[in-house]
Amino acid sequence: MSPLPEVVRWSGGSDPHRTRRQEAAQAWLAFRTAAKLGFQIEANWADPLPFLVYAVIKPVFSALMLVVMLEIISGGAADPAFRAFIVIGSALWSFVVGGIAGFALSVLEDRERYRMLKYLYVSPNSMLTVLLGRGFWRLGIGGFGAAVTLVLGVVGLGVPFAIERIDWLLLALAMTLGLLSIIALGMLLAAVAMQTRQDSWQYPEAVAGAIFLVVGAVFPLAVLPSAVQAVGLLTPLTWWLEMVRRALFPDIVSAIGGPGSLYTELTGSAAPGSVEGMIVLLATTALVTIAALGTFRWSERRAKERGLFDLITGS
Amino acid sequence: MPSRSPYVHRPSRSPQDAAEWPARRVLVTNLRTIWGRAYPRVIGMMREPSWLFFEIMLPFLTTSAFVFVYRALAAPPEYVGFVVLGGAMTAFWLNVMWLMAAQLYWEKDQGNLELYFAAPISMMSVLLGMAIGGLLMSCFRAAVVLLVGTFLYGVVFSVDQWFLLLSVFFLTLAALYGLGMVLATLFLLWGREAWHLTQLLQEPVYFVSGLNFPVARLGVLGAAAISTIPLAVGLDAMRQLAFAGSPETAGALPPAVEALVLIAMAVFFIALARLLLGVIERMARQEGKLTMRGS
Repeated sequence: MSPLPEVVRWSGGSDPHRTRRQEAAQAWLAFRTAAKLGFQIEANWADPLPFLVYAVIKPVFSALMLVVMLEIISGGAADPAFRAFIVIGSALWSFVVGGIAGFALSVLEDRERYRMLKYLYVSPNSMLTVLLGRGFWRLGIGGFGAAVTLVLGVVGLGVPFAIERIDWLLLALAMTLGLLSIIALGMLLAAVAMQTRQDSWQYPEAVAGAIFLVVGAVFPLAVLPSAVQAVGLLTPLTWWLEMVRRALFPDIVSAIGGPGSLYTELTGSAAPGSVEGMIVLLATTALVTIAALGTFRWSERRAKERGLFDLITGS
Repeated sequence: MPSRSPYVHRPSRSPQDAAEWPARRVLVTNLRTIWGRAYPRVIGMMREPSWLFFEIMLPFLTTSAFVFVYRALAAPPEYVGFVVLGGAMTAFWLNVMWLMAAQLYWEKDQGNLELYFAAPISMMSVLLGMAIGGLLMSCFRAAVVLLVGTFLYGVVFSVDQWFLLLSVFFLTLAALYGLGMVLATLFLLWGREAWHLTQLLQEPVYFVSGLNFPVARLGVLGAAAISTIPLAVGLDAMRQLAFAGSPETAGALPPAVEALVLIAMAVFFIALARLLLGVIERMARQEGKLTMRGS
């Protein structure tokens, strides 16, 4: 008996003779269908207005909480630069929460609630493609929340903004790599969710909250102990936030460098340059993506061997 | 006057009443229900140790992020204590929202809800069992945040009235779990996505409850929160009692008054929950629609 062609073993394809083009077309179809389904699951529980409120309420209130903390401590005379730093970091974090949660929650929903994961797994599509499609809209909702929070920050909280000063190239490159790293982290979480029981609904948010500590989202890394700063410098999201902040608001405080920071201590410079930042972002994103792909494949194999796709828990 | 039961041809208020059980048997059955519903949660925790990392360690890091925000702002040390206290109490709010308020909706999705309604047990016992099962995890998480946070960030508590502090804590839990029962029935009656409703309530409640700062600083909004959300009033009272004498802890109301507010809230929410649970039980038995998936 001849062994199955490579394409069948790795993509779960049903036709061993299909071309790469047909395979790509099928992957696109699977992605599109999963994305459409994801959108319906995310959005069809409410009318458009309540849904839009739902999409923005979390990032807006997160930003408000931090702004109130800042205003209380400063006695209402907060440095506008630091207020901008907090609002932008808090707004961008909405991407991370949505993106990371999208993949892991898709696994949990399809396994525990809709009980379709086993059927999805045996369908002639890559599991990864299906999960990317399912998680796509959560990332999109996160992005919408981030945009609205930024607009509110500029309009209502006095965040200084000049559209002509935006570095569009830096913004586009940083966003591309940043979103890739968020998707990679989401895949890691999806791999974890495949192995755990139903009550791991809170895991993605917990992971996002923990990463929040080390990436300088709402305070400069310099206030953290050096060992924690080192972890932050190895995380792509730290560099993503730094580069997006710089692209949107060129005069903003650096989260990475500055007095007392590990970065300044190691390099002697006050803040990383744009090219340097993009190179580190690229390298760390590549590392996280490779690690995420490896972990996802391992988790998928283990789940298949142990029958975890079929497992319904409940507590 | 009791209505006619759909199960027996004589007036009865509930399956227990229809079965003519003596009070002792009703009590024992409900105690068994509480244990039976708490059991999968407790055993589930032991079978999936990953929660220790994901639900204890990582949320502690989230709390730590807010500590460092205050450090970056060079805030008075009491504020670090506020964050630690708020971080500990978050565990109970999350437990109430995710493992109680949303749970009946999910039980319906899983097909268990009709079994609950068919069984001769009180729905309050089922919800209490959920609460007790989840409370173990929440207490552990809160204790870790409080102890490690206190040790690691050098929080200095100054408590003059231990009895009042403990009373406020337990009253806050009673009111919170009462609210959780009310929300559990409301989420079921609305028939909307419990997941999204829970998400919708999370961040705004953290904000208006003054999770990381004295709620009195929010003015009218804070006063509104104090009068409606047990977490807000409980945190404000505990903050005043745990950091007694600090000028930063000026609360919206004196702690003793807030304890009275919590008593009123606990009584109100539990009574309302009982009423609403009665309504959904009746709807489930007489109309038979409440337990249908997708309704």
